[in-house]
Amino acid sequence: MAKAFGAFPEYRHPFDATPIHPEGSTTVLYQGKTVTLTETGNRDGLLIRPADLSRVNGFELKPEGVCFKDICIPMKDGLLVERDGKQWFDLVAFADLLGQPYVADTESRVWSFAEIPAKREAMMLNAMAPEFEVIDRQGKVVRLADFKGKKALIVTWSSW
Amino acid sequence: MPVWQRVYEEINDPNFVLVCVAQDTGGEAVAGPIFDAANPTYVQVVDEDHLISSVFNFVNVPSAAWIDEEGKIVRIDEGTYSRKHKFGEGEQAISFGNDVYSPALKDWVAKGADSVYVQSASTVTGNIREHGFDQMKADAAFRLANLFRAHGDKDKAEQYWELARSLNPDSINFIRQNLTLTEEGSGGETFMKLMGEYVSQGKHYYRPLDIDGA
Repeated sequence: MAKAFGAFPEYRHPFDATPIHPEGSTTVLYQGKTVTLTETGNRDGLLIRPADLSRVNGFELKPEGVCFKDICIPMKDGLLVERDGKQWFDLVAFADLLGQPYVADTESRVWSFAEIPAKREAMMLNAMAPEFEVIDRQGKVVRLADFKGKKALIVTWSSW
Repeated sequence: MPVWQRVYEEINDPNFVLVCVAQDTGGEAVAGPIFDAANPTYVQVVDEDHLISSVFNFVNVPSAAWIDEEGKIVRIDEGTYSRKHKFGEGEQAISFGNDVYSPALKDWVAKGADSVYVQSASTVTGNIREHGFDQMKADAAFRLANLFRAHGDKDKAEQYWELARSLNPDSINFIRQNLTLTEEGSGGETFMKLMGEYVSQGKHYYRPLDIDGA
């Protein structure tokens, strides 16, 4: 029988079972990046060390609040918590504050965060393209900012 | 992809960038040879997690955004065909695409904001799809599924693929991507049924192409 159009069943699960991260670690997915955290503060939620925040989503803690570039969100109760004598940042509470969707597989300690809605507002309001970052086939980082001063056609396609 | 290489060479303008992004969970193994066959000189990306579709709220391929020198989108979310294509012969023949999109693109590259094909910000924002909480959550679920797949956890990969599809049932990308990984393939009975439902509900998987002659 001829193979059906766009059928690649052999690629459905081609990989052998491998650990997602070392025992006791947590993985965070955001904007195409995979970040492994060796230290988190609780089993069911996602308390991270404040120093890891910028690695996870580009935000930093500053006196003005939780900041991404020059935009700061005032600190709210519950974002910074003390536990076991250490300070932690509640990444889930922060996502809830921003209206940022996420899906968690707590059993495997993996948290996948969607885009922060506020980062899309300019596109919906005045057609400004959102920043993005992907890796090309040569391993080079490709960012929207690379094309400033040029016209760009971003076109999707697929093998299917 | 060879057709886009030809268009890129015809435009031949150092201030024009063409970025072709494969939305392919199969990754380099599937998309790479198709790219290579085109001998491309444009920017090539294999986007296993469909990040670019998520950025621009696309639900199908091929879709595109025209972005000007200041980062403003001036056209978006149209069926992006470089020319008419035809598969098969006789009564079995299927044709799609058009011969007006590439000339419009060339006109824009040459004339910039004076091109008649540049759309106003209000037209563009009107053409950008809603991508609300559930659709964004679907993106997160799709990414999670792909991570489990890459680590050989079939059950969880299937669980989160299914979650992505249930959260964003209008994504042709998600359902066809998943169908490629079945014996039925991406153009079989399930796909035809989905297309029928789409059309009967008055939905568009691309915005109607607003170019004369389309």
